[in-house]
Amino acid sequence: MQWKPAATLMLVPVAALMAPALAHAKINVGVEEAQQRIFPGQKLTQNAVALTEAQRERMQELSSVREPFRGERVWRTANGDWFIVDEVVGKHEMVKYALGINADGTIKQIEIMAYVESYGYEVGEASWRNQFVGKSGNATLKLNKDIKNISGATLSCKHLTDGVKRLMVMHDLVLKGSK
Amino acid sequence: MSRINKSICALALAAAFSQAQAGEGSFGWIYTLDLQPKGTWEFEQKLQYNKGQAGGNYDFWQGRSAIEYGVNENLQLAGYLNTSYVNAYRNYPATTEFPSGETGGWGVAYPGDDKYSKWRVEGGSLEAIWRLSNPVIDPVGVGLYGEVTLGNMKDEFETRLMLQSNFLDDKLILAANIVGAIEKVKFVDGETGPESMIDILLGASYRVANNWTAGLEYRFHNDFYGYKFDTYTQRAHFIGPNVHYATKDWWVTGAWRYQLGGKCWAPNDGECSGGMVWDSHSKNEFIVKLGMPF
Repeated sequence: MQWKPAATLMLVPVAALMAPALAHAKINVGVEEAQQRIFPGQKLTQNAVALTEAQRERMQELSSVREPFRGERVWRTANGDWFIVDEVVGKHEMVKYALGINADGTIKQIEIMAYVESYGYEVGEASWRNQFVGKSGNATLKLNKDIKNISGATLSCKHLTDGVKRLMVMHDLVLKGSK
Repeated sequence: MSRINKSICALALAAAFSQAQAGEGSFGWIYTLDLQPKGTWEFEQKLQYNKGQAGGNYDFWQGRSAIEYGVNENLQLAGYLNTSYVNAYRNYPATTEFPSGETGGWGVAYPGDDKYSKWRVEGGSLEAIWRLSNPVIDPVGVGLYGEVTLGNMKDEFETRLMLQSNFLDDKLILAANIVGAIEKVKFVDGETGPESMIDILLGASYRVANNWTAGLEYRFHNDFYGYKFDTYTQRAHFIGPNVHYATKDWWVTGAWRYQLGGKCWAPNDGECSGGMVWDSHSKNEFIVKLGMPF
């Protein structure tokens, strides 16, 4: 077998040299920072939840999200607001986000904590995140209906939207009314 | 080698090496509906290696260097530079004329029984993909594909109907391509041969871990003589695995497919032996693709 270095192969190192200069940014926000962005100045206390199988099935049924939820990622403020960290499937890696829920059951804010993808960093911008603000557990929360899509990040937008829906379902099933 | 045999020999191979890839490709040969977002570019390099025919040596490499661009949310354009290298020696079955085996197959300009090797800049291709529905948000994603290739070995127009469905949080992808192509194969004596092709490609890919997918793909290949699928000349079946790794800055896919078997109807040819199809095909076909969005 012989292989003569061809022009086609010479393009590979050229592209490799281009790549670092063209590398995209990434979003990386810690839990405490996300808490302060959503509930500035407030003290949050971890409030882990243990979900029953029936509750998990209901959350999946209403949101279509299959990734398991980690119950230790729930915090509460003295005012009865909730702070929840969750992850959904992104294009290449998991997308980590935090959801703040007011004591009255409406969404206060969503923060993207980890996003490492080629495209779609607009999910971290307020203009996209603000679409969720004020929604309650009764909202359908469907991409392209309630929430606008972002070009190049359809999968992440869909999963984030479904993920928020799942947390709102959990709030209604488990957190709402808990002491 | 007769004119019709040269045409038939070139037919399947021309089709086999005409394949490009849309957006980030988790399959080796199947196109999916993952297109470049509006206003974005990607460099893509593909290298395919076909190895082994009836006997002797047969190595055929094809490189395709591409720039892809997202015109809008559902339309992607791409331009390709196509190159190839062939190294063959008595890779076809023995005949009365060549009792030790014939040197032939796709890329071999003058069949004989001597060693033959040549590197070529074949030409270029332009490709468009129009996504009618998105498998991430619709039950079935549907897309239409068209590609024009102009080169010194062939001119070709290829179309595809692309189908894709996603399951399990989009971790499982089922995809199918129905491919139709017409080709004008060019010979060194200036003659041309009319060919046409129909392929059915089926595949499944699953995200086994973050950044990693692995799967399986199958190809049912059919060649015809004439631009209107006039005479059925050849069919073959291929199957093999694929693996894909992707990060935000680059991705790479590797795939291998093995020829399960095939059949030829062309007379007086060396394109078939031992229940397999040669010409542009081989026992084993490998592909590596590298993509870098920018």
